[in-house]
Formats: sequence, C-alpha cells, structure tokens
Amino acid sequence: MTRPALVPKRLYGLAAGLGTLLLATAILLPFRDDLDTATVALVLVLPGVAAALIGRRWAALGIAVTAALTLNVGFLQPYGTLKVDVTDEIINLIVFSGVALLTAALAGRERDRRYAAEERAARIEALAQENLEIRDVQERLSAEALALNLAGEHRSALLRAVSHDLRTPLTTIRAVVSDLRDGTAYDPAARNEMLDLVADEAERLTRLVANLLSMSRIDAGAMVPERQAIPLEELFEDCVNRHARLVRDRKVAFDVPLTLPLVDADWTLIDQVVTNLLANAVRHAPAGSGIDLAARRCGDSAVEVSVTDQGPGVPPALREAVFTPFRKGPGSSSSGVGLAIARAIVEAHGGTITIGEARRGGARVAFTLPVHGA
Amino acid sequence: MVVRAWRSPFRCMVPEPSVALAGPVLVVDDEPAILRALTVALRARGYVVRTATTGQEALEETALASPAAVILDLGLPDIDGVEVCRRIREWSEVPIVVLTADGADDRKVAALDLGADDYITKPFSTPELLARLRVALRHRSQAGREQEETALLTVGSLVVDRARHRVTVEGRAVVLTPKEFGFVCLLARHAGRVLTHRTILQEVWGQDYGTETQYLRVYASQLRKKLGDDPHRRRLITEPGIGYRLVDPDADDPS
Repeated sequence: MTRPALVPKRLYGLAAGLGTLLLATAILLPFRDDLDTATVALVLVLPGVAAALIGRRWAALGIAVTAALTLNVGFLQPYGTLKVDVTDEIINLIVFSGVALLTAALAGRERDRRYAAEERAARIEALAQENLEIRDVQERLSAEALALNLAGEHRSALLRAVSHDLRTPLTTIRAVVSDLRDGTAYDPAARNEMLDLVADEAERLTRLVANLLSMSRIDAGAMVPERQAIPLEELFEDCVNRHARLVRDRKVAFDVPLTLPLVDADWTLIDQVVTNLLANAVRHAPAGSGIDLAARRCGDSAVEVSVTDQGPGVPPALREAVFTPFRKGPGSSSSGVGLAIARAIVEAHGGTITIGEARRGGARVAFTLPVHGA
Repeated sequence: MVVRAWRSPFRCMVPEPSVALAGPVLVVDDEPAILRALTVALRARGYVVRTATTGQEALEETALASPAAVILDLGLPDIDGVEVCRRIREWSEVPIVVLTADGADDRKVAALDLGADDYITKPFSTPELLARLRVALRHRSQAGREQEETALLTVGSLVVDRARHRVTVEGRAVVLTPKEFGFVCLLARHAGRVLTHRTILQEVWGQDYGTETQYLRVYASQLRKKLGDDPHRRRLITEPGIGYRLVDPDADDPS
C-alpha cells in the first residue's frame, strides 16, 4: 500500500511539532524563573503530541526528544547547559518520548483504520458498479431470450396459420374427389358444381403457394425485381383473365388513361401484387359488386395504381396493421400474407402502398411505381 | 379397367337411407367451399340439407329445424365447436359427427366425451364421413338402441353372447377374461362408432378410472391376438389419441 500523501505529512508533523515547541518556549521562557518545572514540562509535552497527531512516530519522537532537551537546556538551572546526570531529566525524557510515541501510535492506528475504511468503501463502490453492469448484461440477455422465445412462438403460430390455410382448400378437394370416385350417381349440374369447387380451391392453393414462396424470398432478402418497361393496362387485363374464375361474381372495371406512361417494374412481381389485391377485394366485397382497377400519373416520375372494392372497407385504426404478415383479421381464416407481400414488392420497386377509403365506403388500396425512363 | 374406389369398412354395415330421415342433416362449417361440397354430396344421396356457418347459427338451426343429424366443424369462428356440442347435448340426442383439423386431439376427445357420436379429421374422404354419420344415426335410432340391448351382438363374423358371456369368431369360441369380455362387449354394442379411452375405462373398469390408457393398450393388443385380428383387415381399430372402434372388416367385399 503506497501512501504518497503521507510523505509530506512527516514534514508537516515535524513542522507542527517544531512550531508548537517554538511557540511554547517563546511564551514560557520569559517566565522561567517564576514557573514551576512541572508546569513547563507538562506544556512541553504538547509539541510531541502535535507532531504525533500530524506526522509519523519518528517525527513525534524527534520532537519529543527536542522538547525534552529544550526543557533541560532552557528551563533548568543553570540555564543554557545540558544536564545529563539528573534523574528527573531522564524521567522527563522517557515520559515525553513515551507520550509522543503512544499518541503517534494511536494517531497512526486511527489513520490506518480510516484508510482501510476508505479503501473498503472504494472497493465496495467498484463492486457495486460491476454489479450494475452485470445486471444490465443480464437484462439484455433475458430480453434477447424473450425475443427468441417470442420469435419461436411467432414461428409456431405462423406455421399453424399456414397449415390451416393449406388444409382448407385441400379439404374441399379431397371431399369432392373422394365423393366422385365413390360412384354415386350425380346429375351433370351437381357434378359440374363439384368440379368447379375443386378448380377454385386448386387455384386458391396455387395463389397461396406463390405467396408463401414470395414470403420466404422476402425473408431471405432475395426479393430483387427484374425491371422492364411495362404497360399497366396489359398487365391488368392479363391478370384478370388468368383469374377469371376468382372474379366471376364481381364486375371488374379498368380505368387506365391512354396517355399513361410505361412503368419500370418486374412483371411477375407486380402481377402478384395485383392478384393479391384482387383476391382481397373478392373476399371482402359482396357478390355482384364492382371492383375498379385504375392507374394514373402521380407527379412527374410516378404512377399510382389502385384497386377499389365495395366491401366494408378497412377502419383507419387498422390501415397500417393489415400489412403485418400472418396477422389474422377479425373473423378471417386467412393467414394474411397477401398485403405483406404486396408491400414488400412495392417497396422493392421504390414505391409506397397505402389503404384508404373509397367513395362508396369500400377499401381503396393504392401503390406507386416509378415511371419508365423518368 | 375399372378403378375401384377404396371402400370404407362401414359402408356395407349400414346402407344408404331408403326411408327418409325424420329431419334434415345440418352441416356446420365456416368455409363455404366445404359446405358446398358436403351439401351436394348429401343431396345426391337423398338427404335434405340445411347449413350454418357459425356456432350461434348451428344452435339456432338445431333448435328450430330439428335436424336428424348434425355434421359440426370444431373450428368455428364464434363459439368453440366443443361448446356447441355440449350445449346441443343439454337438450337433444341428435347424432353429431364432428369435423376436426388434425393436431386438435384434446378437442376431439372433449367433443366425444361431451356427447358427439363420432369424428373425422380434415381433409376427409366424404364416403367415410357419411358412413360414420350412418353409424351414428343407426345407434341413436329406436331400432339401433334396441339392437344394442339384445343378448346377441353380431359384428361381421364376431358374435358376442351377453347372456352366456361367450364370444365366438367365425364360429370358433374365444376364451376371454372378464375385463376383455367387457371391453369387446362395449365396443360391439357401439359397433362402428369410436369410443374414447375415458368412456371405455369408466364403463369397463369403473367410475374412478379415466386416464389409464396404458391398460387399454395392453388389453387391446391381447384381444387382437385372441380374436385373430388380421393386420390387413382389422376388427379392433385404434384411433390414436382418441380411443377404439370395432368394425366388420369383411364389409368391403366387392358387390
């Protein structure tokens, strides 16, 4: 243990002792003829004590001896000479030294204890600090563990949702196929209806699988559009034709101005966006109602595409939340990736997708795409 | 070449209803496509069909239309299918067959213990579902209930003589312990229907039992040996996680 602060203290001790000694001597010397030796002796103990309190024991001892000598030389007859053969003097010396040393020892022990206490305090504080840091680390780790757990639960939840979504169309397909193979006599109308069901559900499965594939590509960061210059009217017509069965009970209308510029986009991916939005519109809009597919210029460098239905619409509070993948809407049995995929694709093209309200209360989903060559 | 469809063991046990049922068949499922597929299938076989897409509708239809049978999907959006089952059973003995998605084992068993007659897992084979429906109808009918109480129970070539506590298979007598006899007897009374572990344990072992499925496993395997059960044409069928079913394996002869 180094005590750098103590080195000067030794000098301070000496200084204090000497100072006290000089002071006491200076005060008492004029009265040495009238004062009793005992009184002087008692007073001259003080410099030793002073030195002991402030300095170390060697300073204390030194001052004590000096004080004894001062008493001997300055206050005992004959003045100015050192008397060594008197018993009193020896006793004085011993007592002065003893008191000084004892005081020094006491002071020293006191100081030691103080330092030990300070050091302990410092160590405790350091440990407390470490403890806090460890606690921080622990909290972070448990937060991560929780997040992992949650991620695990999310994954289970979404696997369940996907299983359900795959099983539903398969149930219809198997129910119909097993029934037709059973050989019951069906009239042609019933038989056609059954086969229509199978066809519809097979298409539904196909769309779902395409969506799941996109979802996994998005997760893997592999959603990279291959851009071409695309005429949107052509894409819309092609998409709606391929999904004629899906939209057969709805009135699909196109609203694309002849002057609309080409857009810079990946045909397959935008087709998937339009398909998902159409499927949503069909799911929510009543039979016989209209679905509008529109596109219009939006500023100099973008085109806005919109799909509008006449269903119940999306309440403002949910218009962001519906883009979360695998989030089930109220009463919906779908695992809900359609909008999430649409958003990922649109954003990969540098566009944005939002849901708003249509004039007649239905949902209007609009997204932007860059103009080709802009 | 005629491709012969797989025929469920139950089909020939109970033929298609030649007598009109005392009411419609109520089909409950929230998926319109499945509802449609079943409706067409049932109508083609001469049943009258009513449909419902929610638990609430199911309860209302059961109360108002007095269906002769209910096909109930357990995964309904509003009320749990098991709860619907329980509520129907509070005041009706209508046969109920539940449709379940796999992995929902607890709910299947719960539904059966609460009074559903049978279950089938999606995706299912329609003929299989309808066969189970017919078995449920038969057991709940007057004739069916009387059949259960007769002294002589016949399930294909298996005959259970309750009066003499004897079981014969193809005329050959089989020696069974009392519990084994109880097990076979119970299953034979409900021939074609699934019985849950709990039901079997409580009927054969006693009210204090209910969870000792390992007993049943042991007894089932012993019974299979004694009855000479052919693994390709099983009589005693294990429904994993649910219970057991006794059928006539010879019922799928080409006709």
